[in-house]
Amino acid sequence: MRTGTTISAAAHVGVLLWAVLVLDVKPLDNASVESIPVDFVSATEFSKMTEGVKNAQKQEQPKPLVEKQGEKKPVLEQAEKLTEKQEIVTPKESTPPPTPEPKKAEPKPEPAPKQEKAETKEPEPKADPIAEALKKEEKKKPEEKPTEAKTAEAKPVPLPQKKPPQKPQPKFDPAQVAALLDKRDPQRHAATGDTINRTASLGAPGANAPELSQSELDALRARLMQLWNPPIGIRNAGEMVIRVRVMLRPDGTLAGPPSVLTSGHGPMFESARDSAVRAIFRGQPFNMLRPQTYETWKDIEVTFDPRDMLFRG
Amino acid sequence: MSGNSSDNTFSNLTRRRMLAMGAGVTAGAFAGLHARSAFAALKLDVTQGNVQPMPIALPDFVGGSQADSEVSRNVTGIITNNLRRSGLFAPIDPQAYIEKVSNPDNVPRFADWRAINAQALVTGRVTRQPDGRLKAEFRLWDVFAGQQQAGQQYFTTPDNWRRIGHIISDAIYERLTGEKGYFDTRVVFIDESGPKERRIKRLTIMDQDGANVRYLTRGDELVLTPRFSPSTQEITYMAFGQGDPRVLLLNIETGQREVVGNFPGMTFAPRFSPDGQRVIMSLQQGSNANLFVMDLRSKAVSRLTQTPAIDTAPSYSPDGTRICFESDRGGSQQIYVMSASGGNAQRISFGEGTYSTPVWSPRGDTIAFTKQGGGRFGIGIMRTDGSGERLLTDGFHNEGPTFAPNGRVIMFFRDPGGNAGPSLYTIDITGRNEQRVPTPSFASDPAWSPLLS
Repeated sequence: MRTGTTISAAAHVGVLLWAVLVLDVKPLDNASVESIPVDFVSATEFSKMTEGVKNAQKQEQPKPLVEKQGEKKPVLEQAEKLTEKQEIVTPKESTPPPTPEPKKAEPKPEPAPKQEKAETKEPEPKADPIAEALKKEEKKKPEEKPTEAKTAEAKPVPLPQKKPPQKPQPKFDPAQVAALLDKRDPQRHAATGDTINRTASLGAPGANAPELSQSELDALRARLMQLWNPPIGIRNAGEMVIRVRVMLRPDGTLAGPPSVLTSGHGPMFESARDSAVRAIFRGQPFNMLRPQTYETWKDIEVTFDPRDMLFRG
Repeated sequence: MSGNSSDNTFSNLTRRRMLAMGAGVTAGAFAGLHARSAFAALKLDVTQGNVQPMPIALPDFVGGSQADSEVSRNVTGIITNNLRRSGLFAPIDPQAYIEKVSNPDNVPRFADWRAINAQALVTGRVTRQPDGRLKAEFRLWDVFAGQQQAGQQYFTTPDNWRRIGHIISDAIYERLTGEKGYFDTRVVFIDESGPKERRIKRLTIMDQDGANVRYLTRGDELVLTPRFSPSTQEITYMAFGQGDPRVLLLNIETGQREVVGNFPGMTFAPRFSPDGQRVIMSLQQGSNANLFVMDLRSKAVSRLTQTPAIDTAPSYSPDGTRICFESDRGGSQQIYVMSASGGNAQRISFGEGTYSTPVWSPRGDTIAFTKQGGGRFGIGIMRTDGSGERLLTDGFHNEGPTFAPNGRVIMFFRDPGGNAGPSLYTIDITGRNEQRVPTPSFASDPAWSPLLS
């Protein structure tokens, strides 16, 4: 019996200890993890991020896929139309001419297909519903586009490229252009989807907490540390801990003179007190504090404690 | 360092916040709305500051007449120079001033001074009274709080305008730093002139800023280690006259001199007791030296140490109960502390190298010393138990520390070596703000006077 009870007692104690240790560790981790996302997200920030993402996807995708910077403008304008119609209409026809031209210069091959795509994209919507007579008008438009390309890339080549593909479009159906276009479409969709999801996951938890965040507190403390010039050289400087109560308006300015809660007398106390009050006066407006959280920071008690920074700190 | 401390403070903060919230809840349950006004919603600890010179605006004092305005400007210049040299203040360039102060009695336009980032503002006036005396008045303003912090007026003879500047400097310094100033003081030192082989050494006194130099001896005898009396206008020093070198007493005002005591051997390293009534010194006996103290009124002499070693450079603690001195009784020069009445001495210096010329701070909390080691001489301070040793400056030859009366600044002399001679420097006990003190020629062995007023 005794051995049995001791074993069971020891086992229970062990289990309890293990549980206590584990339970102690987890809450600490959770607290620290949770606090981080709170810093980054607010309702306004989230809305801004989502808006920004939609625009950004369209811009970013064309850049990594084909060209780097020069042709952003045409891609932006045509992007919506392209996603719908590219596969069906023009891609197959337009490809052959660009392939011969790229041979002349190395950088050309990459831009050439893009330019063609851009060209094709615009003409495509028009070409499908409209007759060949409209193609003549299209020819005029492509001429304008190549000029843009020239300004961006300074390459003389694109002009001839663009003109021939437009006329031969029905004739040229090779697979190269079509393949390129097909690749672009799926990539764009995937990229857009990924970015949106990511931002949403980050933003969602933040919406729950409009509390004063760590970053705001740290910014407030940093501001006061920057402005606080304590008289640390004086004797007994470590005893000069000053507590000050600060009432703030929503705009971050002082609602009234700071009230010193620490009592004392003598020139050393006056010097320490004035240095603390001066830091608060100089710190306003405390615009790192958001008006949404005003209720939490309208009444602050600040303790200025120089004990850690005697002499050289 | 700062990162850790900020983390700590944050954890403190969160804990305190939780406690405060808990307290607020319980208090609210019992006391209702009253608890709301009693507790701030948010508590914040600021444990690190940004120590830097305080920007201060010192517009020229207003003068009553044309002649007075000249004096006014000079007084303002002295204050500005004093505060700048202290290293704790950064006087703002007068060209940046927006408001022109015409009447120092009016409240200044604080916004104008905030705009140039002045934290303190000094306004004042110097006028000549019908009886010929000068009247100087000043006001010290806290620019950000919008309040007057101090205001005083003084009367003096016109030729005393420099002291007026120093006294006002001390008043400003004390109000803003919380500590007595040290500007209305003088320094006695050994002025050294002539070629290196035949240096003429004269006992010299001047204001702490280098003005009003006065020679107290003619230079026909070698003088060393002058020390100020803390209570009278007297200096004690060592001089090589005829016969053995002797400790002398000199009255600055009358020029009267007398030998301290009548000893059979050489006496040296004198220093006054804090009450100015006694002089403590070393007396050579054979190859040894021991400490003696003499009462200046009764001429009674008492022996404090009796060792087969060289005990010298004694210095009293400000309360007069203890003495620090240098001794080689342990084999090398080290600093010892013992009771002012003698008895067992306790060694307090244990670093590498040798320690000499200990001086007890007027604050009582530290002892300054010269430390020699590795061919270098440094000036340092340590606590009176020997802990917390810090070197403030180090180099080829630094020696002879002396404290300003507030214990905040140390003056010493530095010899760069070669054909150059020594000169005087000051340094803050934090190790910041080393400044050269202007002297007419080479200078050594400084001793700082107590406050004159």
